[in-house]
Amino acid sequence: MKSAAPSATRVTYEQLRSMSVCLALALAVHTAALPLWLLATIAAVIAIRLALSARGHTVPARALRIGVAVVSIGILFLKLHTFNGVVAGSALLSLVAGLKLFETQTRRDLYVVALIVYFLSLAALLTSESFWLLAYLLTVSWLTTTTLLRLTHSSPSTGWRRSARYAGRISAQALPLAVVLWLFFPRFDGPLWRVPSDSRSAETGLSDTMSPGDITDLALSDEVAFRVHFDGATPPAAERYWRGPVLHDFDGRTWRGSVALRGSAPNLTPVGPAYRYLVSLEPNQHNWLFALDWPDQWNLSDAYLTSDGMLVRPAPLSHPIDVSISSHTHVESAHSLTEGARRRDTRLPAQRNPRTRQLALELRRTHPDDLGYMNAVLEMFRQQPFFYTLEPPPLGLDSIDEFLFDTKRGFCGHYASALAALARAAGIPTRIVTGYYGGTYNRFADYWIVSQSDAHAWNEVWIEGHGWMRFDPTSAIAPGRVEPGSDASLARSARLSGPWRQPLSWLSDARLQFDALRQLWRERILRFDQRSQDRLLGNLGVTEPDGAKVAMVMGAGLVLVFIWLTWQIRREQRPDPKDPVLLAYGKLCRKLASAGLPRRPSEGAESFAARVAVERPDLGPRVGVLLKRYSRLRYGAKRRTRTERWFVARVRAFKPRGILPGSQGSRRG
Amino acid sequence: MRSLRDTAIARIRVWYARRHGVDALPVKIERRRIYIVPTRFGLLLTALLLAMLVAGLNYSSNLGLAFAFFMTSTVLVAMHHCHRNLLGLTVDVKLDVDVLAGADALFYFMLRNESAVDRCDVEVRLRTASDSPRALVEATRSVAIGGYEEVMLAVPVTHRGVTRFSQFELRTSYPFGWFRAWTYVQAPLTAFVAPSPAGNRPLPAVTAAAGESARSESRGEEDFAGLRSYTPGIPLKHMAWKTLARGGEASVRVYSDLGARPEWLEWSALEGLDTEVRLSQLSRWIAECETGHQRPYGLRIPGIDIPPGRGPAHRWRCLRALACHGMPPA
Repeated sequence: MKSAAPSATRVTYEQLRSMSVCLALALAVHTAALPLWLLATIAAVIAIRLALSARGHTVPARALRIGVAVVSIGILFLKLHTFNGVVAGSALLSLVAGLKLFETQTRRDLYVVALIVYFLSLAALLTSESFWLLAYLLTVSWLTTTTLLRLTHSSPSTGWRRSARYAGRISAQALPLAVVLWLFFPRFDGPLWRVPSDSRSAETGLSDTMSPGDITDLALSDEVAFRVHFDGATPPAAERYWRGPVLHDFDGRTWRGSVALRGSAPNLTPVGPAYRYLVSLEPNQHNWLFALDWPDQWNLSDAYLTSDGMLVRPAPLSHPIDVSISSHTHVESAHSLTEGARRRDTRLPAQRNPRTRQLALELRRTHPDDLGYMNAVLEMFRQQPFFYTLEPPPLGLDSIDEFLFDTKRGFCGHYASALAALARAAGIPTRIVTGYYGGTYNRFADYWIVSQSDAHAWNEVWIEGHGWMRFDPTSAIAPGRVEPGSDASLARSARLSGPWRQPLSWLSDARLQFDALRQLWRERILRFDQRSQDRLLGNLGVTEPDGAKVAMVMGAGLVLVFIWLTWQIRREQRPDPKDPVLLAYGKLCRKLASAGLPRRPSEGAESFAARVAVERPDLGPRVGVLLKRYSRLRYGAKRRTRTERWFVARVRAFKPRGILPGSQGSRRG
Repeated sequence: MRSLRDTAIARIRVWYARRHGVDALPVKIERRRIYIVPTRFGLLLTALLLAMLVAGLNYSSNLGLAFAFFMTSTVLVAMHHCHRNLLGLTVDVKLDVDVLAGADALFYFMLRNESAVDRCDVEVRLRTASDSPRALVEATRSVAIGGYEEVMLAVPVTHRGVTRFSQFELRTSYPFGWFRAWTYVQAPLTAFVAPSPAGNRPLPAVTAAAGESARSESRGEEDFAGLRSYTPGIPLKHMAWKTLARGGEASVRVYSDLGARPEWLEWSALEGLDTEVRLSQLSRWIAECETGHQRPYGLRIPGIDIPPGRGPAHRWRCLRALACHGMPPA
């Protein structure tokens, strides 16, 4: 073995420990994705290795090392069936890093661990969009680099702080270069190749069923569903309905969406102004997108409109995306609903909710006109003592009956459900639309935050000659009949979203500002793509950018940064010409030179002092003290201003001929 | 593989020597003479960076790309720092070194750092055999801001003669071991390897003194200069019988008048012996003259005549003459 090579030298406990810490810090961000037994195994082998090292032993027995490696990797493969993909790959890499530390003997082994730490950091970032994660992992890589510095450095006398500062300076100098590379490196639209998608995370937000009798905690969550920026006009508050899943099928208790069919709604003519906006959706693991009422244009190639007017994608939304959409808030149709659609949207379970049917029959008698009938239903909600609450009493099988006649307490789902049942009982095609209503305006960055507590349900009713009309029975409840504690509902009626409304205005302002920063981060950094690159190049005066032009711009940027870097490094290297200690040293050397004792260019302060002591014993002690002090000021770790001043003053006062007994003549002359 | 690499290194060194000629010492390492390549660790890291880039592009992850580019930039900046670690360093070395065969030739290198940054882990390397690149001596030092460091390389020498090294190397893989920067300094390092003392011939002066016994005896006891150990061949009348009778070792009296006259160590006095044996005997005589008595000594070997003298400088002058005997001039 080449034991003489410096990279093959034995590692110390301290080096082993700091690399273990780096690995642990990188693993910390993977803990959610990695199986517990794997983390435990890694922790155990590292602990054993560290304990051995602390006691001065070397690696564990070879058989044990190989055994642990084979068994753990084997189990991992049996459990995952693959090592492809981010999660499986990270799991394998983490295990390999742990095993590598287990058998670490030489620096070269730790080099491998460092490489794995770097790659684990990257793997965590591939599927994340968090600024904090990036900041954390950059810190981890800085620590790892510091560890490498201490590993390579053969004179370990320097302290951790100094190593960290030097590694930090190198990292800081790397930043401008990284920015240039990041800005101009060509981006591609799709992936280079498909990787198996990892286990789906939990669905969030709205689902495609709704059971008003069940208890929901959706309304209390202040998790952001999406953010919207309007280009141009913002629709009035009463028109900001974000359509999500449309529910048709009712079994007396639960509403369900039916299969979403591709194809536009039958002959709907948009009415009123079009609104253009950008929706930044958070991942929710659903196929649908949220758009303002009736979208007609969007910039997502794989998204399509269903016959219900929903905007859906073939794949569930697992990453945040941005979609530009243009919508109208109202539609009109002079046509009739197809027979199938009419039948579907007037269906009610025959055995359920008899009292509701009875009520519908009575109302219908006095309101033969569809529109008049619907208004009468709304009027009923307005007049009768219906209350809005987020904690409604649970309902049984005849949920609508119980709600309308007994409890009279509920939230949007109850009201939409009741209205739909009443309309359908009267033979009017009605469906339930779930989605979001309203949102919080962020005045710091001109966009709206729509959070889960803005979730809402309303109805669309087919009125012959008008087409689908939006009815929101919840809005019929007078604000005075909102129960205390149901913050979100209050917010809704007050046109303000709940969680964003804080008792202290500065707190809510701070939250909004923070959210604005997040949005900026998302728009500028996370969504940076080829188009953004083209725009940037356009701003730099490069028109019609192609590969060659981009490469040229990037090359020019890199050259500039390299020139800056070289200049920076040169500047660091040059001794400060205004350094008082250096100036005083120069003065001292000149004084000695005029006394016939020039310092030789190759002579350091100490050897110069030794020579002076031999050649001029009379000056020796005084010069020796000064030169020794100079060395300490120059090479010492800390500088003390007092010593510095003392040195400068003593050099100024120093006269090589002053007290020489033999130089009386020169003093006279 | 190894031999291919070694051949390449040897080629580079030869090419470098042609390109730069002989350096005037002290040498300040400038930009154009520093070479830098990634180490094996650096190459592994480069492969890792490529993998990071591909992963970032494949997942269209701007954060992943940001991290990959940050690491790439760190590596590039580290390359600068590795290069900088040698740049502007001043190196000086005492070119000529005298040594006895079988000992280590000690070359003293002086590294001076006049800049405002520390120079860490600078390796001074000297290849001791041009045919095998593995044969080298090295030492690592860090030079503080404005400071200097003396580095000693001990090169074992076995054969008498003049051993020349045409260049030495300064190298560093500071800060992270990702790159290796190096420079060759073309300096004719020369070890004058004197023969190690051997042989049992008595000093010629003592034998000469035997022929002039009458004169030396007439000087009487006042000129007695001291005792030296007896070697066969010395006339018995010089024996210090009293010392021997007291149980001391066999010694001979040495008289100061002998010290006043120079001792000539002559090549011709060792007729009939092999060259190396002769040189070793001369070396022994020089050692004896230095340690034994107070007389100056001179050296006469073919082509060289060193007038009598004493002291370390004189001794090494004589030894160097022995080392250079029969050697082609530099």
